[in-house]
Parts: sequence; C-alpha cells; structure tokens
Amino acid sequence: MAGPRRYSGSRFALALLILTSVTLISLDARGYAPIGNLKKAGIVIVQPFRSLANIVFSPVGDVWESFSNGDELERENTLLRRQLDQLLSYRIANEGAVNDLEALRTQLGLQGLGGQETLVAEVTAGSVSNFDPYVLEINKGTQSGVREGMPVISTGGLIGRIENPGLRDSRVRLITDPIVNIGVLAIGTKEIGILTGNGVDQPMRVIDGIPIGAPVEVGSILVTSGLDRSPYPEGFAVGSVVEVVPDEVNLEKELLVEPTGEMDNLDFVTVVLYQPPSME
Amino acid sequence: MGVAVIKNCLVILFLLLLQLELFSSMRLFGVMPELLLASAIAAGWYGGPTSGAIVGFSSGLFYDFYLATPLGLNALTYAIVGYLLGQIAVFLSDEAEWIIRITISVAAVTVGLVLFVTFGELIAEPNLYNRNFGKILVISSLYTGLLMVPVHFLMAWAFDARRESPVGFDRRLG
Repeated sequence: MAGPRRYSGSRFALALLILTSVTLISLDARGYAPIGNLKKAGIVIVQPFRSLANIVFSPVGDVWESFSNGDELERENTLLRRQLDQLLSYRIANEGAVNDLEALRTQLGLQGLGGQETLVAEVTAGSVSNFDPYVLEINKGTQSGVREGMPVISTGGLIGRIENPGLRDSRVRLITDPIVNIGVLAIGTKEIGILTGNGVDQPMRVIDGIPIGAPVEVGSILVTSGLDRSPYPEGFAVGSVVEVVPDEVNLEKELLVEPTGEMDNLDFVTVVLYQPPSME
Repeated sequence: MGVAVIKNCLVILFLLLLQLELFSSMRLFGVMPELLLASAIAAGWYGGPTSGAIVGFSSGLFYDFYLATPLGLNALTYAIVGYLLGQIAVFLSDEAEWIIRITISVAAVTVGLVLFVTFGELIAEPNLYNRNFGKILVISSLYTGLLMVPVHFLMAWAFDARRESPVGFDRRLG
C-alpha cells in the first residue's frame, strides 16, 4: 500500500513544482516587479561565492582559451600590430586636427561623445547560456547611475544597450541579437533605415527604408539616427556596409552591415549615461 | 533529511559556480555543457522522482537568475527531467553499468534541451530555436555526458549513496 501512495506523492510534488514554475514564468513575462527583485536578490546572495569562484577558475579558463584559440590569438596579434602601426602614422598625420577638434570642443562646451556623460565598466562575463549568446555582464549597476536601455560602446562604436541593471552589475544586450532594432542614418546622406541584428558572426541587415537610388554603397558608415523616440543618442557609429543587395521589386536596397564596435574579447566597455526623453 | 538538503544545496551551488565561472568560457565549438541539468538527472537517479523533481526545480531556478529567459523556464524543464529520470531508474538494476547510466543521462540532457526550447517557443521567447540548435543539442549533450561521472559522484554523496532505497522512493515496488 505504501508504494502507490509514494507514487502519487511524487506526482503531486511534480504537479506542485510545475504549477509554481508556470506561475513564475507568467508573472516574470508580465514584468511583475517582485519577481525581478527576487532575481536580483538571488544574484546578490550568490555573488560572493561567484567572485571567489572567478578567482579560482579564471586561470583554468585562460589556459583553455589559449589552447583552443591559440592560432586565432596569433592572427589577432599580427592584425593588431599592423593596425597599431597604421594608427601611429595616422596619429602623427592628424595631430594638428586633433588639437583643433579639442579646441572646438572646449569652445562649444562639449565633453566628447556628443556631450554625454560616460562610465567605463569592466566586462565580468560573457553569455552563460547556450541559447542566448548576445549578452555581456558588466560590473556597474544602478549604484553607479546605470539605467535600463542606456547605450554601451566599445572601440569603434555602439555594441549594445543595458538590460536589467542590478545594484552593482548589469547585462548588456548586444546589437547582433536578432530582436534588436536600431534606427540608423547613412553618413553623408539623409537615408534612414532600421538595422536589425542577424545572429553571431552574421552581418546585421537593413531591410527597409533605403531607396534603390540612394547613394549608400559598400563602405558607407551607419550611425544612430537619434530620431523620434529612439533609445540611442544620434551620431554613434554602428556599422559599415559590406554588401548592398538591390531589391528590384520594392525599389529598395538591402544592406549587410558589419558592426564597427569591437565585440570580441572585450575587457572594458563604456556606458553612455543617456536616457531618451520618453524614458525620463 | 536535513543533512541531505544541505549537501544538495552545496552540490547545486558548486555546479552553478562551475557553470557560470568555468564552463561559460570552456566551450567546445562555442557550446557549453549543461551541468545543472546534469544535477537534476543525477538527483533523479539517486533520489527518485520526487527528489529529482525538487533538485531539478531548485537548480533550474538558480540558473534562471542569470538568464534573460523568464524566471521558472529552466526550473520547469529540469523538474520534469529529474522526475522522468527518477521514474526510469525504477526499471534499471542497481548494478547497471556506468556506460548505461551515462548513455541514459546523455539522452536525458538531449530531452531536457528539447523541452527547454519547446517551452520557450510556447511562450514566444526569442532566440531559443535558432540555426545553431542542432549543433547545441549534439555538442552540449556529449559535453555534458563527459562530465556526467563526477556529477553522479557528487549526487551519490549528496544522497548518501542510497541508490538501493532512495528517499521517498521504493524500488521494490515491482
């Protein structure tokens, strides 16, 4: 007799757990605030252990990375040396222009990056899931003034925006995520389109908005348009066009775009402390 | 009972830290193992359906704290997988070879990943089913399978190796 009762007991326990899970999913999907707070509390509780584990495990991770990415690192090293040489010669050639720009900025009262305040944050982790490779974790949160939706940039341009900031850490949603849309403007033109992420190692795409006759070609730089209720300030470099596919039916161009911002092996990123008017 | 709970909490915490801090960077072809799913599977094996479901729910919930998917999605999946493994364990001999245990565990990881993505699709969660799904399924299952032996040992320790008469689970029913 004891057996069947235990069986039904296990079914009852499973039913209870399923019900609890479904309730949590439902509440979280609706943005119920206490669930968000529960998540943050859980992270805070585990954080000291995580910091300790990071110290212990990071050398192992580094060794693994050096073994698995050895060739890639060597190639990257060579590429970086070449870029450094180019930059040094570029710097010498443009030193005068930099001084002029600085003088103009001082005159106009701008602080750089369009006058927005910024905050440098350390990248503490990449994605911790197999199914969501489009996130980074950084070590700055609401305590440092970071808020939901703030743009995040690295060398070269925009790479993402803040999502779900905690007290001392935040998640960055990368622009390569297919759910991310950004209003962009092609430099030197008045053409505005919507840039959409297209997955890891895939070029992003601008499908609508660029007429077939527009002077947007391979090599054109796209920047944030900052129009209307855009969550990004205008003028941040987002990507450069690597391929133009004409759509003769809709008389538009489809653009394939490589991000200009560095996204691999990031140690630090910059959070632009900007909130669009509608979010303030 | 209290000791078993503490041991289980310690094992879940240890595996969570490994998952977040070590295996998130130790990827094979860009894919990481699913250690917390493995803990649910091993808990079902050593603790029976109820313990498998409870450990699965707890480990999934802790993992959910760190993911952008809604809280409870991993908890739901892992609880079901832990429960199923507990039920399957009824039909297996205690002397079942390790290779059989590992094979069943690898199959359970695959089932768990499919369930996770299916549930995610049902609630219209983006990014779960993508062009890499097949690769993730195969590599993650095999990678987790490689790590299954130490996870089995940890869970055997957590349940005091009471495989023959696990808590709340009478294998002599049949």
